[in-house]
Amino acid sequence: MGHILVIILARFLEGMFVIGSIGSFVVLVLSGIEDLETLFGKEEEQHS
Amino acid sequence: MASFPPTSPSNRVRIVVATSVMLTFISYWRAAAIVLNDLASSAFYACGIAEQAVGKSAPWFIVGVMLFSFAVRAVYVESCSMFVRGGVYRVVKEALGGTLAKLSVSALMFDYILTGPISGVSAGQYIVGLFNETLVTADTHGWIPRAVHIMFHGVTPHLNVNLTSVVFALAVTIYYWWENTKGIQESSEKALRVMQITTVMVVILLGWSALTLFKSGYNPVPLPRPENLHFTKESLGFLRYSFPEQSLTHMFGLLGILIAFGHSVLAMSGEESLAQVNRELAHPKLKNLKKAAIVIAIYSFIFTGLSALLSVMLIPDAVRVPVYKDNLISGLAMYMWGPLILRLVFRAFVVVVGFLILSGAVNTAIIGSNGVLNRVSEDGVLADWFRFPHRKYGTSSRIINLVVGLQILTILASRGDVYVLGEAYAFGVIWSFTFNSLSMLVLRFKYKGERGWKVPPNVTIAGTEIPIGLLSVFFVLLATALVNLATKSVATVAGVSFSVVFFIIFTVSEHANRKKYALAKQQMKDHFQLLQSDTVQRSTLGIRPGNVLVPVRDYNTLNHLKWVLEHTNTRDQDVVVMTARITQFGAAAYDLSTEQVFSDYEQTLFTRAVSVAESFGKTISLLVVPAKDPWSAVAQTAHNLESSRVVAGLSSKMISTEQAFLLGSAWEAIPEPKQQFVLQIVEPNGVVGTFRIGPHTPTMKNEDVVLLHRLWLNVTREPGLEKIHHHDILTEALTRFAHDYGARDHENIVKELRRHRDDDGSNPVRRIADQIQTVQPNPTRPEREKDGKDDGGGDKRPSVSNRPDSK
Repeated sequence: MGHILVIILARFLEGMFVIGSIGSFVVLVLSGIEDLETLFGKEEEQHS
Repeated sequence: MASFPPTSPSNRVRIVVATSVMLTFISYWRAAAIVLNDLASSAFYACGIAEQAVGKSAPWFIVGVMLFSFAVRAVYVESCSMFVRGGVYRVVKEALGGTLAKLSVSALMFDYILTGPISGVSAGQYIVGLFNETLVTADTHGWIPRAVHIMFHGVTPHLNVNLTSVVFALAVTIYYWWENTKGIQESSEKALRVMQITTVMVVILLGWSALTLFKSGYNPVPLPRPENLHFTKESLGFLRYSFPEQSLTHMFGLLGILIAFGHSVLAMSGEESLAQVNRELAHPKLKNLKKAAIVIAIYSFIFTGLSALLSVMLIPDAVRVPVYKDNLISGLAMYMWGPLILRLVFRAFVVVVGFLILSGAVNTAIIGSNGVLNRVSEDGVLADWFRFPHRKYGTSSRIINLVVGLQILTILASRGDVYVLGEAYAFGVIWSFTFNSLSMLVLRFKYKGERGWKVPPNVTIAGTEIPIGLLSVFFVLLATALVNLATKSVATVAGVSFSVVFFIIFTVSEHANRKKYALAKQQMKDHFQLLQSDTVQRSTLGIRPGNVLVPVRDYNTLNHLKWVLEHTNTRDQDVVVMTARITQFGAAAYDLSTEQVFSDYEQTLFTRAVSVAESFGKTISLLVVPAKDPWSAVAQTAHNLESSRVVAGLSSKMISTEQAFLLGSAWEAIPEPKQQFVLQIVEPNGVVGTFRIGPHTPTMKNEDVVLLHRLWLNVTREPGLEKIHHHDILTEALTRFAHDYGARDHENIVKELRRHRDDDGSNPVRRIADQIQTVQPNPTRPEREKDGKDDGGGDKRPSVSNRPDSK
């Protein structure tokens, strides 16, 4: 019984980790592109 | 008007409490440098710890963690865009309530308390490693005398690495304890310099490593597959009891990856510092925050990630863990391609950089812990006793003592074992991140209003926005935190015990403080009326321009207030008594409520100030401002209130000219337009030093006036210059000085000025005056240089002049 619980918990953590890792990679790509644009993008011209 | 006697219908004294911390704003480069001083320091020990736990494929997990830190950074950017004064405590309290906020801050405290010991011990390991290796090199050349060999029973002389590291860590911790007790100013300039030196080291490290890879080849780093993971009994923690007959990690392949990831997570410790520096970022805040965040992420990925990979690729297996596990970057330096002497020199440079960045992290840990405990103390969850200012230095020394005491205990308990410290450290790191991401997730549903920025991607289904990005980051953090609970037995026992103890202390203190606060609140209501104001404005206080600002700190030293009241007619000129509530690094990251800023101490202080005013029968206005630096607070308040004079007492830490210099520096940092004011420092013996803050007509010495007059007499004898004025002589002299100082004769002028400073300041002038008197004017004076112009001269010193005025 104890072993089954550990197995279920382990599978649950594995699933969470995999889903989270894929999503985090998407976060990394999307926010990375946006941040690089912020870092290297042209400053908006000031109009007076 | 906030004054005594009050003009309001009630009999209570009105006090304006500013709730915005007075800060000097910094660029995103400086903000990135402050965070990297903490974050990049983990590069010196993270890979060594991870490899001991999971085997040779550890660098891939460090790289994975550094990539994941880009996503964690995005969560912090969103939290900072919602709460300018972000940070775990603030965010968790808002989302999940006080209980979980106390729990999360306990985990954060565990993180901060351990940052000091792990950094100090690691720095010690690098230094002792170099020392021992130097002795080995000396021994191979026969430079060590036989007598020394006999002392070490015939073996090469050496120091016990762990023991000496403990001694070194204790010395660094005690040094910073004393510096923090005295109240050292945190300097973004210093952080920037350290990062510049570190960058030089990183560039050499990467460039030289590339050359070595090309010349000598490399050891492959095993890919992060379950079959390449080699866990020890220690690194499986409680799990080693679950399936003793078979390998759990091989049975669950992915679980092994997750466990290895959990052992590498301390590589991204320090992200919390991003929330702490956010408040200080210059406009446009969000854009600068994002810039700082991406600089931090890229830098730490390159330094921590690549140096981890290179260490396994270049250092042979036979020595990497046995010899260099606690000073991997030193090992990397020793296995570069090239002559030994160059490698030793580079290793020494690595040790110097390691010392700078790691000892800086010890300081950051003390400052951060102090800030967090100050904050929770202000919130009533830690007894006010802890916040009582140091009698001489005005710092929260009791909190500093508590923090440093815990750090010293941790250092001694670790016996210099970096692995044990690192394993425990990861507990605080992962749980504070997990609490933060969970809170941000809850806030997405709790507060649906506009935000400055959101972690992408977000998908709207049936009108409900699903924060996929945020959820993903939370999943990874929670899975890692839970698996770490099972695999890091030392961290779990130590971290849970520490957090529970702190949680109980917080809860009991909060309960005890409630009764006390109820009474104090009633007393405060009876005597003071607190008016909350976001910023300090003259209109809020109801005072006129040209007022006198009197900063006070210690209620036992109010002589300068008495002096002001003696010498000021308050019908013509308003007197504002202000105190700066110093909020340390960390505390500045949180919202300050009126009760937090105006505590028991301020109540006692103002009660005394009001008594002094009462004894003179004069009116004063009262003001409390939260600030990170008292000088900036005074300069900015004087600027905002259009004060003509600031009257302060003599500091117990410095002489009056130093006080004037610091206030002058703070004044220089205020953006234009700004007005000058006079600073008067009243010494206990009644002597008053007067200084003008900002550009002003200098007070001229008699010798200078004589010299000017003699020059004028000589010049007016020249044909066509009969109508010249004294100020024309000064203009010409200053123009020439600016030109020479800016380019032609900079060094000589600086040398001469230093000599004048070291003399009593009058002799050289007298000598020049004598020369002018004796030398006949040259009728063929050279034509004034047409290109001479003032280029600013590069003198960035604050504009302060001293006019001692004995009263």
